[in-house]
Amino acid sequence: MADPSLLHHDAAARDTDAPIASNGTGPAFASAESSSFAQTSLPLRQAPRRGAPPQIHDVTEKFTRACQALDVGQLIKDEYFTLFESIGAIEIMDAKMDSGFLQPGETLEDDFDLLAPLLPEELIGIMDQLLSYEMAWHTGYPLSQTLFTSVYIDRLLYPEPKTIPQAQFYRGDIPDDKRPGTLLDVLRAYCLALIKGCDYVIAKIMARDYFEEEDFATHTYNRVLFVQVPIDVFLRELDASVEMIEDSDLKIDDELRSAIIARLHFRKSFLCALDPECPLELLSNFWPPVLPHVDKVNDTQHLGRTVPGSFSTKIQRRLASTVPPRPIVEVEFKDALQTLKQLCADCEEATRFKDLPTDPLEYQSFLWTFASRQPAPLTYSRSYLSNILFDPYILNAPVSLPLEDVKSFVFHESPILDPANWALSPPRNPLMPKPPRLQFALLIDEFVERVGQPYLDLWVALGQNRCRLRRMLTHVIIAWDMLQQDAVFVDADLVVHALQLNIAEEVMDSPLLTWVYIKKLWMIEKVIILGFEQDIYLPDEHAGMYYFLSLTAGKRKDALQRCAEHLSERCIQFVQKSRYQDTNDTDKKLAFIDSELQQATGISAFAKALHGFYVIANYLHLLPCPGRPFSTEELRYELRMKPFLTLQPPEVPPFEEFQTALQPYGAYSDPKPSINDDLKQEHSLPWTNIDASLKAAKDAFADVKKRGAKGAKAKGVEQAWNKETQGMLASCVALGVAVAGLKSAVKNTELGRGPQLKVELPTVDKRYVGGWVVPKIVKE
Amino acid sequence: MGDDTDAKEKDGDALQYVQYDGSKEETYLPAIRQLISKDLSEPYSIYVYRYFLYQWGDLCYMALDSANELIGVVVCKLEPHRSGPFRGYIAMLAVRESHRGKGIATKLVCMAIDAMAARDADEIVLETEVTNTASLKLYERLGFLRSKRLHRYYLNGNAAFRLILYMKEGTALKRPPGMETAPAGQMMGGPPKMEEYRGFAQDVGVGEQAFVT
Repeated sequence: MADPSLLHHDAAARDTDAPIASNGTGPAFASAESSSFAQTSLPLRQAPRRGAPPQIHDVTEKFTRACQALDVGQLIKDEYFTLFESIGAIEIMDAKMDSGFLQPGETLEDDFDLLAPLLPEELIGIMDQLLSYEMAWHTGYPLSQTLFTSVYIDRLLYPEPKTIPQAQFYRGDIPDDKRPGTLLDVLRAYCLALIKGCDYVIAKIMARDYFEEEDFATHTYNRVLFVQVPIDVFLRELDASVEMIEDSDLKIDDELRSAIIARLHFRKSFLCALDPECPLELLSNFWPPVLPHVDKVNDTQHLGRTVPGSFSTKIQRRLASTVPPRPIVEVEFKDALQTLKQLCADCEEATRFKDLPTDPLEYQSFLWTFASRQPAPLTYSRSYLSNILFDPYILNAPVSLPLEDVKSFVFHESPILDPANWALSPPRNPLMPKPPRLQFALLIDEFVERVGQPYLDLWVALGQNRCRLRRMLTHVIIAWDMLQQDAVFVDADLVVHALQLNIAEEVMDSPLLTWVYIKKLWMIEKVIILGFEQDIYLPDEHAGMYYFLSLTAGKRKDALQRCAEHLSERCIQFVQKSRYQDTNDTDKKLAFIDSELQQATGISAFAKALHGFYVIANYLHLLPCPGRPFSTEELRYELRMKPFLTLQPPEVPPFEEFQTALQPYGAYSDPKPSINDDLKQEHSLPWTNIDASLKAAKDAFADVKKRGAKGAKAKGVEQAWNKETQGMLASCVALGVAVAGLKSAVKNTELGRGPQLKVELPTVDKRYVGGWVVPKIVKE
Repeated sequence: MGDDTDAKEKDGDALQYVQYDGSKEETYLPAIRQLISKDLSEPYSIYVYRYFLYQWGDLCYMALDSANELIGVVVCKLEPHRSGPFRGYIAMLAVRESHRGKGIATKLVCMAIDAMAARDADEIVLETEVTNTASLKLYERLGFLRSKRLHRYYLNGNAAFRLILYMKEGTALKRPPGMETAPAGQMMGGPPKMEEYRGFAQDVGVGEQAFVT
């Protein structure tokens, strides 16, 4: 098992699904914090008190007496013995658990001569193998099973060198004739830069929220990765190596020579790109140069030759004695390079974040799209983006980001946000009532302050791995639910002061509540859609979950409708008052609301169409439906709706209502006979409902598409946005085909005998959009 | 619990299903360990088995053949979960390779579920690898639903599904004593207790959950 200390971190973080901690900008739920929390709340043994002089008690007699009370083999368990402790335990002298165990004749250390001269081919081979392990580490494996199995890396780091010149493949003085040759020196420079790169990676990842071992293993086994040494030292070593290799006195085949130089150049460019000190505005300069070097490395990989013994699992013994021996993670070089290219591409994409317009909704689109990239961005890339997002330059924008978000929906050119409100001073006499406009400012400030944490929580969640994202969103939703309750009071106060000023008609009804509700509903929709994407729902649950999605998106649609109506009224008011500039501005704003409104309409309608289709498929027994002797529909409904049960207003329909929507003809096993006729008639309600929903969905998505990424505040990710919108339209078409196929097949068969068809559910990689499972009808 | 599995069983060697008995650790435990660790890259220490069997031996069932050889085993625990419900947990399930496909695992799991139901469990949970179709099918046939996907859950880097079976109404809103009124979200972040998460259901995905059917 893993080192207990590691496991502890891991276990604490692993499934706490912690709701958001108080500090969203810091590592709010990084493992370190959770585990320290765990340490104080677990029934842990008391540590021996330090300081007091040790007292010695002879317990021999007590022990012997106590033993007599036990039968041979009888077990005793004390309350401190937890599952965690049992997992952390290893059995000494069991070769699979005890890393110190030596097979007969086995030596403790490998007999590998680090100073033996290398051939150029061997140098290339080692460099490439190191790169493979580096990428394996990036995908989540610990250093002990990857880079730290290199005897060269091990020697550079241990015993710990005080200075870089001391970091050699030997320690102390050695005779001149034993001194490493040029190629070993080059390998040293390459390794040093590699190690520094690891240090940078760890620093970046640990600066943000991540889950130890689940996302990434930061453990360095007490090896110090040159934390204090600045980057130029490593760059100089690399430059010097390039010179040594370029030196014409060095007798070496030119092809090999340029292959080695390519690797050194790659390492240099990569290290520069990883440098966490790099200023925000320069970030995007550093990733593009890496890729050409990667291609050169790829083209010359065949020149390399592996060096047996240069990597060894035996080093693990000295890294952590309490961890069982674990095999070296084998990665194909071409896969490693793929990972590396992906890493570079994702980070380069992330640098585009800083060029987005200062609009939190553009940020949100970017974050969501980045999290949706395929293959999923690695932990480093996600941290890289989070570090940009949480850079003071972005976060401390001159405008309040949450307030900008609010403005996009409910306040535009609103007297409530009139900058003049903030210029008012409170009356000198504190007993005098504050002027209403000042009250507006104070209420808004208070609300913005209140929103801050839940708002950041959403952003933090969007930076997690996809599985976490879904689970964390369910917690963020709860935080927004509480926010929604608070918004009610602020809204009420706003109305009071608006009435005092006689401008009530200029203020939307319950603006803040509406805004919070729209955001919350959006998150609920995402949780359901992610559930489909992650194959959480079984085929016979599809009808119910799409039904719930349709309801939720429908509520968001209604809320957006209210925003749109208010804005239209405002336009009229502006025209009446001849405020033409404001009319124009409000019109522009309406474009966004309309885009959102159409999007919600499309989602609700399309989910409704899918709901209708899956209900029919269930009646026709076209989907696998397990017997489930230990469960009931009610219990499963409760389990499914668990994350949403406490929300206010209630989002989860009562079970009876749900069942009526899912089983309009009664139980699937014993439906009302009228279903036969209904399904055979093209114009019966079940079919016309689906057709109408599908048409509404198509129209809405087409409208969204026409309005474009800019209208949806997704200009920064236009390409991906277009692709998804197109995917939704394609999904509509595909469902239309499936519906037509089912209709015509049912026409000619008796229900119960089962039409000769099959419903195929595409796997996630075969869908137009991951969270939308559009079935295919296949005739058998 | 397919009906045909019972029929199949009659064809083969008659198995007897027995509850684990702590006083016979020497007889059973070596065989249990062998069966379960057979496909694990990293074996569990004896303490992991004892942790479960000492406290919840009555939730462990074994299938023995006529020669008293261990053919299959299920190991569970049952205790209050920090989020409130009285939670049963299926930790390990293994059936000897030569005896798979006969419904033995299903039978063992059913016995364990019945025993946990008798002891008033609110819910029963477990994790299994997302690629372990046989295991997923077994549990989903019985009524388990997938509640979460867990990224890189196992040491081999594979993801898992958490499966849950509710036994009683009201389980979703159960809160630990003293926190009955707390909204769900606030208490979920309570002290992260070292639970079933990761740790022992390693590799090969509770590799055990692997065999089944």
